[in-house]
Amino acid sequence: MRVLLVEDDELIAHGIMAGLRARGLTVDGVATAAQAEAALSGVSCDVVILDLGLPDEDGMSLLRRLRSDGMALPVLVLTARDAIEDRVAGLRAGADDYLLKPFDLNELVARLHALLRRAAGRSVDVIEHGPLRLNPESGEVFLHGQPLVLSRRESALLAALLHACGRILSADQLKDSLYDFNEEIESNAINVHIHHLRRKLGAGIIETVRGVGYRIGTAGA
Amino acid sequence: MSLRLRLLLMIGVSLILLWSAVAIWMLHELRGEMRLTLDQRLVMSARMVGELMSQNPAAWDGQRAKVGALALSLPPAQKGLACEIRSLRGEVLARTPSALPEAAEAPAPGFAEREIKGERWRTYTYEAHGLRITTADRMAERNTLLRDVMVAAAVPFVVALIGGLIVLWLGVRSGLAPVERLRRALASRAPDALTPIHALPMPRELQPLVATLNQLLERMSAIIGRERRFTSDAAHELRTPLTAIKTHLQVARITRGKDAEIALDYAEEGAARLQHTLAQLLTLSQVEGPFSWDDGHAAHAEEIARLAMRDAAHDAPGRIVFDRDGDSAELVLPQALAVTALRNLLDNALRHSPVESAVTLELRCSNDAACFRVRDRGPGLSAADLALVTNRFWRRGSGRGSGLGLSIVRAITERFGGSFELAQRPEGGLEAKLMLPRAKRA
Repeated sequence: MRVLLVEDDELIAHGIMAGLRARGLTVDGVATAAQAEAALSGVSCDVVILDLGLPDEDGMSLLRRLRSDGMALPVLVLTARDAIEDRVAGLRAGADDYLLKPFDLNELVARLHALLRRAAGRSVDVIEHGPLRLNPESGEVFLHGQPLVLSRRESALLAALLHACGRILSADQLKDSLYDFNEEIESNAINVHIHHLRRKLGAGIIETVRGVGYRIGTAGA
Repeated sequence: MSLRLRLLLMIGVSLILLWSAVAIWMLHELRGEMRLTLDQRLVMSARMVGELMSQNPAAWDGQRAKVGALALSLPPAQKGLACEIRSLRGEVLARTPSALPEAAEAPAPGFAEREIKGERWRTYTYEAHGLRITTADRMAERNTLLRDVMVAAAVPFVVALIGGLIVLWLGVRSGLAPVERLRRALASRAPDALTPIHALPMPRELQPLVATLNQLLERMSAIIGRERRFTSDAAHELRTPLTAIKTHLQVARITRGKDAEIALDYAEEGAARLQHTLAQLLTLSQVEGPFSWDDGHAAHAEEIARLAMRDAAHDAPGRIVFDRDGDSAELVLPQALAVTALRNLLDNALRHSPVESAVTLELRCSNDAACFRVRDRGPGLSAADLALVTNRFWRRGSGRGSGLGLSIVRAITERFGGSFELAQRPEGGLEAKLMLPRAKRA
């Protein structure tokens, strides 16, 4: 899962990014509304964490503008203001969830996964695909009920393909969901992860659509 | 007790008492007059009979020889006046039939009340022309008449009194209706409603009350709004570093090695920020609050400058250039506060100007004040920002600092009668001018 974090306080932004990365999420951080808009138009991310007190624009008005421009990504609003009016205004402006500072990192991660799950139209937090079962939050993968050991990137890649529900994802899209834009990526990194997944889950787990990209296949074959 | 009930009781009771007293007085007078009138009727009747008899002595002389009283036909009077004529010797010459039963002895002249055959009579006896004439009224009849007159007089009186009370009740009710409307309007409000009361037609006497109430509500709403904003701002300012601390501590727990160490460093930085914000908030609330600040240290302008520079230039030694003339002055405010105010100005100047540039602190003492000027070579502030700069928690962009420094400076100068101004320097940068009043020399 790739997260865009919009937070102007450097100290908090560092903390959230370090925490989410440690929990296996891919995070990009920006500090202003303008940077957030640029990032949203440039890379594909799955969920946005938005702090309301931004230096160049109120987070609420940014959210309203993004929504009216048709941005459909789930947005979790972070704020230190706990008045009910603030919360209601945030939800009205188009936020999908609301977390009050200071928050618990585990809760933040759980809420992000819940947002993503709802956006994908699932009501349980485990993705099942044939004999394959993936818990996106913990990164645990089971095949025929047996736990499998996957690296953080491998389970993120698997989650991205499962989330796509059979749609074809390009190599660039897969890269976007695995790496934030500060990370150096080797050109064949995606191929290496796909190779490992096929070895662990069977060759049919990922289908290559020549010239277009990849999609989820059948597990355990 | 409600105002309405009090008015009703006060006016009603006095009305009843007054009218009753008047009624009793009047009835008493009326009774006396009635008695007098009835007695006079007895007298007049007796005299009239006497006169009539004296004009025709032959009539009764002849009669006296023959028959008796029955021959003289006085009209029968079952009710009303009875009359009896006797000779001075006591023989009955004439009497109204069966009206006045025969009494054994002749009455003495004048008024008397006698009981004859179970009935009480009021009699008047008159002697003239050798005759003794007695006229009489039944007491029962007199009393009935008296009672009828009294009742006839009293009924309109009572009706008027009851009518008066009803009118009083209606009048008080309609007169107090605006008060009642106001009461209802106030009672139906939510306890924490601060909106003004309006849309009620009010009499002139209540208008100032409603106006005062509305002004009070308006002021309270402004104050509460400001306090709420401050609390919300303060919560925001405290939660932000707290969030940083908590997040980094959690990161430190789930990471290892260098990452964990970095997270702990960040958590510590957050704690330092929280500490700074708390200290500034406490200072502000103390300066604005009713506390006494006398710390026993006389504040000398030059010493204040040195202490403030030492505190401010902790991280940047040598950046502050101190410029003073020879004179130093004792100031009216406690040393700790004067140092705080000046240090906040120096902090801002150092923070908002290039690291290698110098900040000037100039001290000039006049007869009644010490003037500190802090000049920097930073980007300065726009006119719009200059107006906002002393607002609590205002800071430019996502600048560091608590956003309280200049609020504290302003609160200190307001409390001790100094002044504080910020101005854009024509050659670039900002100049902060802090005037602190000198202590009166003993």
